[in-house]
Parts: sequence; C-alpha cells; structure tokens
Amino acid sequence: MKSYKQLKSERKRVAVVGTGQTKFEARIPDKSYYELAFDASKMAIADTGIAPAEIDSVVYGIYNDLFERQIMPDTYVHDYLGMYGKPGIRVTTGGATGGYAFRAGYTEVASGLSDITMVVGVEKGQDCYDWAQGKSTPEVIKSIAYSADMTWEFPLGTSAASSYAILATAHMKKYGTTEEQAALVSIKNHGNAMLNPFAQSPMKISVNDVMQSRMISYPFKMLDCSLYTEGAYSVVLMNEDKVREMGIEEPVWVMGIGSSNDKSFTGSRSVNDRMGKYGDIADLRNHYESANMAYHMAGIQNPGKSLDVAELHDAFSFTEIQGYEAMGFCERGKGGKFIEDGIPLLNGDLPVSPSGGLLGAGHAVGATGVMQIGEVVNQLRHRAGKRQVKINNGKGLAHSIGGPGSSYCSVSIVGVD
Amino acid sequence: MKSSTDKARDTIKKELKSKPLESIIDEIIEEKLNHDPSILGQGNYFEIPDKLVMFYKYSYGGQSRFFSELKEHAELYGSKCLSCGILHFPPRTHCSECYSETKWQKVSNEGIVLSSTTSWYATSDFFDKVPYAVGYIKPIDADTGILQRIDLVGREIIEPGTKVTAKFKEKRKGVVSDFWYEIKV
Repeated sequence: MKSYKQLKSERKRVAVVGTGQTKFEARIPDKSYYELAFDASKMAIADTGIAPAEIDSVVYGIYNDLFERQIMPDTYVHDYLGMYGKPGIRVTTGGATGGYAFRAGYTEVASGLSDITMVVGVEKGQDCYDWAQGKSTPEVIKSIAYSADMTWEFPLGTSAASSYAILATAHMKKYGTTEEQAALVSIKNHGNAMLNPFAQSPMKISVNDVMQSRMISYPFKMLDCSLYTEGAYSVVLMNEDKVREMGIEEPVWVMGIGSSNDKSFTGSRSVNDRMGKYGDIADLRNHYESANMAYHMAGIQNPGKSLDVAELHDAFSFTEIQGYEAMGFCERGKGGKFIEDGIPLLNGDLPVSPSGGLLGAGHAVGATGVMQIGEVVNQLRHRAGKRQVKINNGKGLAHSIGGPGSSYCSVSIVGVD
Repeated sequence: MKSSTDKARDTIKKELKSKPLESIIDEIIEEKLNHDPSILGQGNYFEIPDKLVMFYKYSYGGQSRFFSELKEHAELYGSKCLSCGILHFPPRTHCSECYSETKWQKVSNEGIVLSSTTSWYATSDFFDKVPYAVGYIKPIDADTGILQRIDLVGREIIEPGTKVTAKFKEKRKGVVSDFWYEIKV
C-alpha cells in the first residue's frame, strides 16, 4: 500500500470534487430508482463544474435486486445517465455498498484507468409491500433477510436487526455496555438530523422515549433502529493532474481507505483464528482491521486528535458505540462512556455523524455510504450549513458497514491541504 | 406506562389477524384492484401491484451428509480438519484456515450460547412465532458455533454463556429448522 505522503509527493492523489443528493425519504413514489440516481448525479456534476461527457467511468452502489425489482439495475441507471460508451460497474456489499463503491471508484482513478469517475449510490427500498398488512416493512425486511445464508440461517427467522443485535448483546455481556448508553446515540443522531434538510427522521427525543419504544430485537427498540429509506447520493472523483488542470478550488483528497471482511458465519469468529487479536463475536474485528489500514495509509497515529469529524455507520445505535472503539476514538469496551462524556456530540471534541447518520438522515442502503463520505467532504469544505462543525486539522473519516454480523467494513479518510 | 416488550406484544396481536400474504395476494390483485383502485397511491404517479415467485430444486453439495444424518438419525455432524484439527460446525468439506480436507465427526448435543437476541418483529413467515430467540451456539466439543433457535420457555432474554441441549423435531425434512436448542436443566 502506498502511503498518502508518498502519493502526495508523486502528485498521484485522488480528490472528491463534487457531491449531489436527493432528499432521503421513506418513499418517493414519483421517482424511479434511475430518476433518483439522475437527480443526485446531475447535482454532483454541476457541483464539480464539468459536463456529463467528461466523466470517464461510473461505479454504482446498489444493494438489493429485490428492492429494485430488477437484476442488474446498474445497467438501466447507466443508460438513463447517458453514460453509454463508458464503463460502468456495480458494487453490492450490503449496508457497506456505498463505502465499497467509493473504494472501487478510488481504484478506477488511482490506477490511471480513469481521470474522472462518478460514484452513484441509489436505493429504492420501500416498493416491497405486504398487501395483507397494508405496509412495506415486513416485505422489506424479508427481502433483506434473503442476504442471510439461505441454507443455514435464513430458515430460522433471522433479520438484519437480529444479526446486529447478537453482536450488541455480546458487547453488553463482555463490556457492560447499557441500553441507556445506546439511547444517547439515538438522541444525538435524531437531533443532528433536525439541522439537515435532506434527513428523513429529525426528532427531539429522550432516553425514556427510546427505552419505551417498541421492542424489535433485544436489545434494539424501535428508536435504536434506522428506518428504510429511498434516495440517491453521487460523488465525483478526479486525479490530481486533472484537479490542477481544471483549477478545482476545494479538492478534498482521499487520504486513506481500509476495508476488511470478517467471517460471515458470525459463530466462527474466535479468539483462536487469524483475527483473534481483535477479539470475538463481541468485537467488530474487521472494523478494527479496516481502521488500521486506513490510518496506516493516511499516516494518522492518534485519530481522536487528528480527525475533526466522523460519520459512523449507526444502522443501530449500539453499532455506533462499537464503532467508536473500533475506530480508535476510545479504549476497547469504553464506547458507552465515550457517548456519556459527550465527546461525539455536535459541539463535542470529535463530532460523530453530524448528518444525523442512518438513524436520523435515513438508510438508503446503496446511497448511505456515499452520503456519509459526502457529508464529511462538505464538512471539510465548510458547506454543512447549520450542522457545520469546527474544522481544525482538515481531516475526517467515514465508516461503512454491512452484511451478516457486519461482515463487510470499509473506512475512508479524506482531508484538505 | 407500557414497556417496550408490552408494546411489541400489542402489535403482534394485530399482525396475527391478517392472513398469510401468499394466500391472498392473487385475490387482492384480481378482485380489489378491479373494483377499488383507491388502495393504490394517488398523485402524479401510476402505481401497480406485483410479485416475484421462483421455484428451485437445490443440492446441499458437500454438506449433504449433515442434513441426511439430521433427518434420518437426529444427529448433528461437524467436520474436523485433518491437518490443523479445527472442528467446524456447521461442517465444510475443506478447512478455510489451512485448505486441508476435513472428515465427518459427530458433535455433542450439549452446547453453550455465544450470544443471542430475542426477536419481537418478523416477516410474514414468522409472525406467529414471535417472540423467539436466535443465537450462536457452540457445541461443547466444536470450535465454532451455529445459528439456531433457542426455546425461551417464558423468558425474554437468553444470556451469553447459557448451557443448552439440542432437541429434534419428530418429523424431520432435512432442513436446518429440524432442530433447536433448549436451556439445560
């Protein structure tokens, strides 16, 4: 892996130079998935200040074929965006689809295959519909449950929530993390969303509201869980030569990317295996590994001091607490205390998920990870409006995770000169 | 004030009143839509119902013996790596750690809960089962754990570390849900 320092000296860096998004909403029935992708991409292209034809390649982050009612949905988005003649590929890695699509977009540019690549994350998650109950959610969670191993796990009635709840109960047992501590994450992120005009679930809530909300999968109550969302988010990536040539004013450089997949059969994660140094089922081992890779590339020794802002993947409130630890923001097992101490609050020492995260802004699966990176980029460009955090070092991190037992993780670090 | 689990129980009762979706979807499409199109959205878009159904015949491949032993003899089999000695459960024909072949080996019905959750919300296939516990259980002689249902017997939570015993359905089909775990008394 070449370090960021080396890439900088060789002028081989890759920058994020444009972002665009739709509002994240429960359902957007007047737009198809390719129309959502179009709206976000048009905005990102305009933000960059280029013509669509100048884009050399596109990477699509679209999670679920059953959501879109379409196998190979990317090919239809590619057509709609007028990208015929150019290469387009799709990435699908569960909740981490956006983060991994960004990784793939980075490699397009960093390899020299493309000067300009657009990463488009889109999801239309709520067309699945349970006609008997007259609501979407049961069919939506069924279409996600098909991501569980179809032979060994799906037939037992597992769900995305139960898969992550199992990790949370292990963390509670091992480190004493409490439901009340997790509730503080929900309060923070729903609150941050009140300052984000694109967010789905802005709410002012209390610990009691979270604790009293309907039980979903112990220890997750309704307000510990992100909602299903429709929307799109696009970013444009450009190589350093092109950035100079075009005179891009506020390039946000990709400083580090680290990605790691743990065993998808969660029950086989053991302290005796190759990743045992990071722990067992209670520890998001691949998150530690991803963060280490990204920090190594970026040359960051002390993330708590070096980063100004982070977007962590809070599909569930407990997962953000586990993320604080894996990202090295606090000691292992001390994630609950980290939120109690107020460090990740909007006005804290290391604001986490100013966008509102998945809990507040929404979880439009393929778009989510791209949104998180875009939020950090716009924080560093001082374009985050009312939720703007203080930028001292000019560095931020986005954490994108997904899959059974959070088997996928990709961490991206971006920064300004 | 009602607790979070009481609220879940109330909602579950309402959900149980509806028929299984599979049994009425065609009726809805055929009858309701022709007479009452208002059940679809109104506005500057046009909305229609749809369904996707697929049929399969599939093989368990190299893991087949696990399912035939489960169905025929109500026994659980893992696979032991001939090189590094890991006892994999569920079984696999080759060890993912060292790529060596494995041999079939019966595992104990006694196990320990690595971690579990209690589900209070489910898809239409499982409405009538909630609340139910699923968790990873490691047989006492195996090195890895399997996802499985754990009988709650009136409890709301199964703690990690709980000792459990495998139980088998009388009529078994050769599927993973042919067995479950009960708390050891």
